[in-house]
Amino acid sequence: MARVRLVDVTKHYGDTVAVDRVSADIEEGEFVTLLGPSGCGKTTTLRMVAGLVDPSDGQILFDDQVVNRVPTHRRQVGLAFQSHALFPHMSVAKNIAFGLTNTRVAKSVVNARVQEMLELIEMPDFADRMPGQLSGGQQQRVALARMLATDPRVLLFDEPLSALDRNLRDTLKYSILELQRRTGKTAIYVTHDQSEAFAISDRIFVMNQGRVEQAGTQLDIYLRPETAFVAKFVGDNNALPGVVTTVTAGDDGQQTVVVDSIGTQLRIEGTSGIGVGDHVVVFVRPENIEVVANDEAVMAAGIVEGLVDQIVFEGPTVRLTVVVNGHPLSVNISGVDRLTLLDTQSRTVRLALNQPAIVKQNGNSVE
Amino acid sequence: MSAITPTRRLEPRNRLNPGALLSALQHVYIWVWLVIFILPFLTTVVRSLETPQGGYSIEAYRFAWNAFSPNLWISVKLTVATILINLVIAVPAAFAIIRHPVPGKRFVLSALNVSLYTPGAVMGLSLAITYAYLLKIQGTTGGLIAAYTVGTFPLMLVPVIVALRDLPEVYGEAARTLGASRLRTLLRIELPLLGPGISAGILLTFVIVFNEFLVTLFIAGKSDQPAALVIYGLLGRAGFAPSTAALAAIMQFTSFMVVLLFFKVFGSRYLKGTYLG
Repeated sequence: MARVRLVDVTKHYGDTVAVDRVSADIEEGEFVTLLGPSGCGKTTTLRMVAGLVDPSDGQILFDDQVVNRVPTHRRQVGLAFQSHALFPHMSVAKNIAFGLTNTRVAKSVVNARVQEMLELIEMPDFADRMPGQLSGGQQQRVALARMLATDPRVLLFDEPLSALDRNLRDTLKYSILELQRRTGKTAIYVTHDQSEAFAISDRIFVMNQGRVEQAGTQLDIYLRPETAFVAKFVGDNNALPGVVTTVTAGDDGQQTVVVDSIGTQLRIEGTSGIGVGDHVVVFVRPENIEVVANDEAVMAAGIVEGLVDQIVFEGPTVRLTVVVNGHPLSVNISGVDRLTLLDTQSRTVRLALNQPAIVKQNGNSVE
Repeated sequence: MSAITPTRRLEPRNRLNPGALLSALQHVYIWVWLVIFILPFLTTVVRSLETPQGGYSIEAYRFAWNAFSPNLWISVKLTVATILINLVIAVPAAFAIIRHPVPGKRFVLSALNVSLYTPGAVMGLSLAITYAYLLKIQGTTGGLIAAYTVGTFPLMLVPVIVALRDLPEVYGEAARTLGASRLRTLLRIELPLLGPGISAGILLTFVIVFNEFLVTLFIAGKSDQPAALVIYGLLGRAGFAPSTAALAAIMQFTSFMVVLLFFKVFGSRYLKGTYLG
């Protein structure tokens, strides 16, 4: 078990910057996910922690020891690969024992540990099978057992579930979380799948173009995106460009701002660092937009009227596309009862916009 | 009548079925080629069994074995030595070429394969000149092994390169995260997984070196001659004698057995799922 720290870790490949000054402080026993689209540098970052890639700059520390120069086989990390990477020429038992046989451990100890690991992954009778005879899910469980057998200080996961089908992914991600909780080991998990990241992480680092865009808990990331990229990448979001018209500072230093956007005034609380005249983007999630009756009094950040363009039934939810002053909004409604509020003649609908997030517009990062 | 009358669809048995005819033709075609291929070997075996009195016996084999087993043994030793040297050269070279950015990789690879495209006589002559005047190893066992290595190491290198290119790096990385040093990763993980390529290289080197004649003719000394050269010498001195044929048949049989053994050992381990498994 170890605390893992990354200090301005950078990786260049020629002129290409794969990882750009990434810093992180991961507590002992914490489960951290690096989330981002492909090519964002998350896997390279993980491989630098494993020692498989040398950083061009910056420091990686396990507890207080700088490990930049420590070769992979001495770092005591466990790494789970997307392809499982079970040694195809060795039985399940030999695969699990491999890490132990690299150290001077008595054969009886190795055998006992292998059996213990097989029971941990609930595959006690699979010792003599070859990897080729296992299903994808079984292979990944054996890979986890192999990784845990050596009692590593840090667990690293490189999209370990992305080669598996959906149901198996759902089961295995909780198995991984449970194994991590039970062993209390620090874990870094790389994925491009946000539902996976949200389900199992203590903290999520959202990465884009080699940089950490935002680090925080699931709620921070989901409700309070700090950049336009995070707002758009995590979950669905409506991006509403606008200009700040008024700013009111509260007692606690937090502001309440009013933004002129899509032909209406949106009131946003709990912001900071925003000035009058700033060009901003207000993000409102489809599930935070409500269809309300014309005479219904509601508390909301903004109330708008629009024309229904499209209705898609998706089972538990109904997805509407509503055009408000020429700007299309995605709206998710759970249950069909609110649909009765739609005026089928004029197709107009009244919407309440809730829980908006605001991001200052800078350069080209916002369309 | 309400009973169901089966429609008679079966052809009369004595009519020639076009499918069967095609199948028979295919078999004939294959057998014709097979006979053409193995005819020289069969003729050699028949010749080796003939006696001057017009009968058949294995006397020629007994004679050939007694007279030439030292030469066969020399062939085996030269072959094994060449295989070992080829391995020592080809495995690290393959890793360098596949796993590391070597500038002008394609050119290097083509240059390394030049010996495969060089006519044997040209190769023999140039090696003879080099070894005789420059290195002074012409006519020695070392010279012979050196010549074989120069001529055959691409046969080891190419299969190993192909196997290494198809071997995902992830196995080696997994081994290293599990605490295996680079050397241990090579010995326990990468070399076993390169088995098919390495064994193919061994087989190719064996078949070529064990039977090599042309380069041998230029480089070998007067004593300690490999079996292939002895056959050539016997042809000149004794013509197509049964003992010459017997020695040739022994060599052919040895090569054949090695190939069979290869498929028996490696076929079951590595060639499962391919048409050979």
